[in-house]
Amino acid sequence: MELEILVCIKQVPHPDHFSEIRLDVSSGRIIREGVPAIINPLDRNALEEGLRVKEKFPGRVTVISMGPPQAQKALEEALAMGADRGILLCDMAFAGADTLATANTLFYAIRKLGKFDLIYCGNETMDSGTAQVGPQLAELLDIPQVSGVQEVTFGDEKILEVKRALEHGYMKVRVKLPALLCVTRDINRPRLPTVQSIMEVAQKEMIIWKAKDIGAPPESIGLKGSPTCAAGVYEHKTGRRREIMQGSIEEKVQRTVARLKELGAI
Amino acid sequence: MVSQHSGLTNVAQWGRLYVRNDEAGKALSPIEMVNPGYYILFKNVESCGCLSKGHLQNKLTEVKMDLNLSREHEMLRDMVKEFADNELAPRALELDNKGEFFWEQVKRSGQLGLMGVINSKEYGGTAMGHLARMILIEEISRVYPPLGFFHQTGNLLMYAIETFGSDEQKKKYLPALCKGEKVSALALTEATGGSDPANMQTEATLEGDDYVVNGRKSWISAVDPADFVGFVARTGDKFSAFIVEKGTPGFEVTRREETIGLRSLPVNEFALTNCRLPKENLIGEEGRGLASALTTIATIGRTGAAGVGLGIARGCYEIALKFAKERVLYGKPIAALQAIQFMLTDMNVEIEAAKWLCYSTAWQLDQGKTSRDLAVDIARCKLYAVDVANRCAYKAVDIMGAYGLSPEYRVIGLLRDALELGVAAGSQEVMKITIGATITR
Repeated sequence: MELEILVCIKQVPHPDHFSEIRLDVSSGRIIREGVPAIINPLDRNALEEGLRVKEKFPGRVTVISMGPPQAQKALEEALAMGADRGILLCDMAFAGADTLATANTLFYAIRKLGKFDLIYCGNETMDSGTAQVGPQLAELLDIPQVSGVQEVTFGDEKILEVKRALEHGYMKVRVKLPALLCVTRDINRPRLPTVQSIMEVAQKEMIIWKAKDIGAPPESIGLKGSPTCAAGVYEHKTGRRREIMQGSIEEKVQRTVARLKELGAI
Repeated sequence: MVSQHSGLTNVAQWGRLYVRNDEAGKALSPIEMVNPGYYILFKNVESCGCLSKGHLQNKLTEVKMDLNLSREHEMLRDMVKEFADNELAPRALELDNKGEFFWEQVKRSGQLGLMGVINSKEYGGTAMGHLARMILIEEISRVYPPLGFFHQTGNLLMYAIETFGSDEQKKKYLPALCKGEKVSALALTEATGGSDPANMQTEATLEGDDYVVNGRKSWISAVDPADFVGFVARTGDKFSAFIVEKGTPGFEVTRREETIGLRSLPVNEFALTNCRLPKENLIGEEGRGLASALTTIATIGRTGAAGVGLGIARGCYEIALKFAKERVLYGKPIAALQAIQFMLTDMNVEIEAAKWLCYSTAWQLDQGKTSRDLAVDIARCKLYAVDVANRCAYKAVDIMGAYGLSPEYRVIGLLRDALELGVAAGSQEVMKITIGATITR
C-alpha cells in the first residue's frame, strides 16, 4: 500500500507575541505583519500523524499552505520535520479569505495535484478557531471526513478505524480512504526536527502556486469568495475596580454580596 | 532549493543563494547579486543544485557584510529553543539538585544531531559548523548550563580526532560520540594548574608497540561518565596526545571535585598507572600533542565557554525582565522604576555586544580561519561573554530580591554556573594576556 498523504498547515502568530497583534478597525482585519509566527500547533500534530503513517507504509507526505510569502518558513519547518515537499499557495488574489474561500483555494490546489489517499488537518487554528476549513475541504473534494480525531488504526483495504473525541466520551468510526481527518492534540506528540533533517530541507522540493496556476475562479477565492462579513471589530479591554469593605467579617460579607448584586454580578 | 516561481524576475532565496527563474521555474542566468547587502558563500553552492560550482565561482567573487542568520541556523535555533524550553527547563532544578550526570539529555542531544555539528557527515556528524554550535550552546545554556557546558567539553576530543586523528580513530570513535551514545573528555590540566601546560608531569614511554603512561590529571570535566578520554603526556622532551578507553588497566578515576556550579557535570581527577596504550591510540604525530590540544581548546573550549556565558546571560535577563514586569511594588510593576530599568538596560546592551563577538568569531571559524588567526577574537569573546554572564546573573539576583536567592527562581543557580566559567578553557586573565600581548606588540 503506497500512500499519498497531504497535510494542510497554517502559519499563525506565536502565542508569546499575541500582545503585538493589532486590529485594523476600518477593514476588520487582524494585522499579523511583523509578529513572529509558528505552525499552528494542531497542524503539527496533523503533520506528525502523516509522518508516522509514512513510517509504516511507503508513501509521500506533501505539506500545503495558503499564505503570504513568509508562510514559506512554516513549510520549511514542516520539511525539516520530515515532509517530502511543500506547496505554498501565495497570491494577493487569495488575501482576505474566510474559511470557505480558504477551503476553495486548497480544493483547487489539491485537484491540480491529482491523486491522494489521506488528508490531515489540525482540528482548528489557534488564531481563528473555527474548525471549519477541514470539513469544508472534505465536502468540496466529496470524500469522507472525521473531526476531533484522537487515534487512528490502519486496517485492511485502506479502511481506517478512527477514534474521535466527543464532549463526554469518544466515538469509534470506520472510514474508507481517501478521507480527510482533523486531529486533536491528544493524537500524538509532534517530533522536533533534527540537525540532519534541517540540513536536508535545501534539497527538498518547494512549489509556489498562484491563483492562475491552480485554475481557481476569482469569484471563489480571497475576499470575493468569502461570504463571511465582519460587521465590526473592537479591542476588548477588561478594566478592574477595587473596593474595600469595612466592618466585621459578617458585615463585610453582607456588604460584598449586596454590592455584587447591585452591580449585577450575581 | 529552487522554488517554482512564476514571475520572470522572481528570486528564489535559499541561505544566501539567489537564482533568477523564468516562467517555468528554470534558472535563467547565472546567479547574480540581487541585493548589494548580500553575498554568497561558496560552501552553500552545492545545495543549490542548479548551476555548477565552478560556474558560480567564476561569476561571484565579491563578499560583503551580511548579519542575517541563514535559514538553517534560524531553524536550528527554533529547534534547540523548543528542546530547551520543553524538555530541559522543567527538569533543570531537579537535575541540578541530584548532581548526577545527565545521560538522558546527552542521548537526546545526540538524537537531535546536536552532538556532532562540527564533525563531518562521513563520521556521523552534520558539519553544520561553529556558528551552529555557538547557537545551540547558547540556547541550551539559557535554560540548563551543565548540558551547554558539556557541549563544550564533550566536543573537545571529537574535534581533536576529526582534525588530527587517523581514519581508523575517526571511524572507531566519532559515530557513537555524534549519536550521544558514548561521551568523551579531554585532559590537559594537572595539579600544578592548567595555565602552564608545558610543566606537566604525566609521561608516556614507548615500550615495544605500546606506550606506558604514568601520571595524574586534575580538574577535568566529565571523566567519570566518559567512554573515551583524550590526554596529553610528555614523550621525551616533547608532548603527545593519546586516547584512553574506559576500563583500560591502569586508568582510574580517583576523585570527584565538589563544585559550586554546573553541579550535575562531574569534575574529576584521574590517574594513569603503568597504563599501556597501543600506538594506535596516539592522536596525530608523536611530539605534536600539545599544539593539537591547545588548538582544540582554543577552537572548541573557549568558544564553547563563551557560548555558555552568552546563554546564561540571556537566561538571567529573560527571567529578571519577566519578574520585573510582574512584580508590583508601590502600585506598579518594578519594571517602571528607573533603578530596575538601568540594570535591565545594562544587561540588554551587554548581551547584544557579547552575542556579536561570539557569532562573528564562530562565523570566521566557519570561513576557514584558524584558532591561530583568531587568537584575539576567541580570547575576546570568551573573556567578555563570561564576564557578562556573571554581571547579568548578579543583576538578576539584585532585581529579584529574596526571590533571586531561591533556587526555584533559577537565577541563583545560573550565577553559580557562571562563576565556574571564569576558570574554564583558560582563565579570564589568560585571555587578557593573549589580547594584551597582541595589541601592544
